[in-house]
Amino acid sequence: MNPLGTRLGWILWPSFLAACLASVLFFAAVDPLLLRGAGPQMFAQLSRESGYALGFFFFWAMGALSSLLSLLLRGTS
Amino acid sequence: MSAPSRVGHLPSAVETAAADSPDLPFYAAAEKIYPREVHGRFASARRAAVIGLLGLFYGVAWLPWHGHQALLFDLPARKFHIFGLTLWPQDFLYLALLLIIAALSLFFFTALAGRLWCGYACPQTVWSELFIWIEQWTEGSRSRRMKLDRSPWTLEKWLRKGSKQMLWVALAALTGFTFVGYFTPIRTLGGQLLAGAAGGWATFWVGLYGLATYGNAGFLREQVCKYMCPYARFQSAMFDKDTLIISYDVARGEPRGRGGRGGDCVDCTLCVQACPTGIDIRNGLQYECIACAACIDACDAVMDKIGRPRGLIRYTTENALQSRAPRLMRARLLVYLALLAGASGALGLSLLTRTPLILDVLRDRNALYREVEGGERIENAYLLKIVNEDDAPHRYRLSVTGPAGLTLVEPREPISVASGSVATLAARLQAPTSAAAGVHTVEFTLAAIDARSSVRERSRFLGPQP
Repeated sequence: MNPLGTRLGWILWPSFLAACLASVLFFAAVDPLLLRGAGPQMFAQLSRESGYALGFFFFWAMGALSSLLSLLLRGTS
Repeated sequence: MSAPSRVGHLPSAVETAAADSPDLPFYAAAEKIYPREVHGRFASARRAAVIGLLGLFYGVAWLPWHGHQALLFDLPARKFHIFGLTLWPQDFLYLALLLIIAALSLFFFTALAGRLWCGYACPQTVWSELFIWIEQWTEGSRSRRMKLDRSPWTLEKWLRKGSKQMLWVALAALTGFTFVGYFTPIRTLGGQLLAGAAGGWATFWVGLYGLATYGNAGFLREQVCKYMCPYARFQSAMFDKDTLIISYDVARGEPRGRGGRGGDCVDCTLCVQACPTGIDIRNGLQYECIACAACIDACDAVMDKIGRPRGLIRYTTENALQSRAPRLMRARLLVYLALLAGASGALGLSLLTRTPLILDVLRDRNALYREVEGGERIENAYLLKIVNEDDAPHRYRLSVTGPAGLTLVEPREPISVASGSVATLAARLQAPTSAAAGVHTVEFTLAAIDARSSVRERSRFLGPQP
């Protein structure tokens, strides 16, 4: 198996690129302030800056999860 | 993860090594590369590109334009200022077209001249070059850097390494700050950072981008191109046998290192020492090659010295190497060119015909209609939303067309809307009862008094059932 650093790279790097793209496309169409009314109470005071950051980290986390599963299911071949 | 298939018919040591030894770990531990400084035509071209591009990056952020930052993708306000043009979220089409044009240009230039982007314009190359200049300035030439790394920690080593790190960190911080300055007004941000009063997220992104610059340009360097760059993996799909590549002329060079009795290659290995990705171009085209042409400059200098013609390593094409006629205009290029022209034309046309004004008309939902003047006339009420997307404030006059005798009761006065703002106001229309029965289409026209922009919007005018 590859060293930890390499595996981390495989998980975090492609998901980072995907998160950048997803953030640009999503927030071009959606104003993060819309989350204020739509989401749970914790979003009520959300600023735009926090909304963008939250969205970016959410996309990154989901991408990383996908990469992690790919790596896991791919086996050790 | 395989090397580009297109280069398969050229010898490639890297491919063979990987294929023959499946038991070895896929990635060898990265060895530090000490690129040798070269002088020549292509080094000068890259120096010019680096200075020009970095000058633009660090400079344009400070450029004012009619009271605002000339280039500002103002995310907190959701408005993009591009010199005189202000784009709103509704103008997403332009951004999409711009990205498509950028991608197509990359495809076109890759098919034409190989990895031009990688060698001269990619931020990874540009900032690595800048960081390497600092390294050469503080630590000296290639051999001195290698010696310094092997030597014990003397005072001189501390001073040289320390000053390099300080310059790197300062430059990285400036880069992070400038980058964030394109997304939030840079003068305000600068003042806030100096006063220690910047917002949490702004500080975070400055730090993160600074850290990325430091790591990518200071340490990762060629590994970004080799392991992290998606473009490096698919650029070979744009290559054909007439694409400009950097290649060693095997027929002329071999056998190497035999002086006058062999080929022209004297096996001085300067081309290998100059390579920022640490490959030997004499093994053939390899996917690590970012086409920076440092090996060409290094080899040309040697050929000048030994009195042989330049170009043992040169920009050439696969067809030219095999003495076949080169074709400049080919189907692939023409298709890229046609798509590029189409997208650019669409962008230009839509920008030229763009009206920086939006009118939304909502019928009042509380009442279908109202009888006024003792039943003589029928009145409908509307809510207007006017968005002035222009950089200047404007005054607008509203007019309507519809059933016979239709008049605009309110607003009669010109409507003033500040630049980049939204005005919401009520409008009332009246028509004689005799002409108002049923459902009619009305058209609102909003025209700027002090400019040429005007928009039309349709709505309905309701009267009593006939």
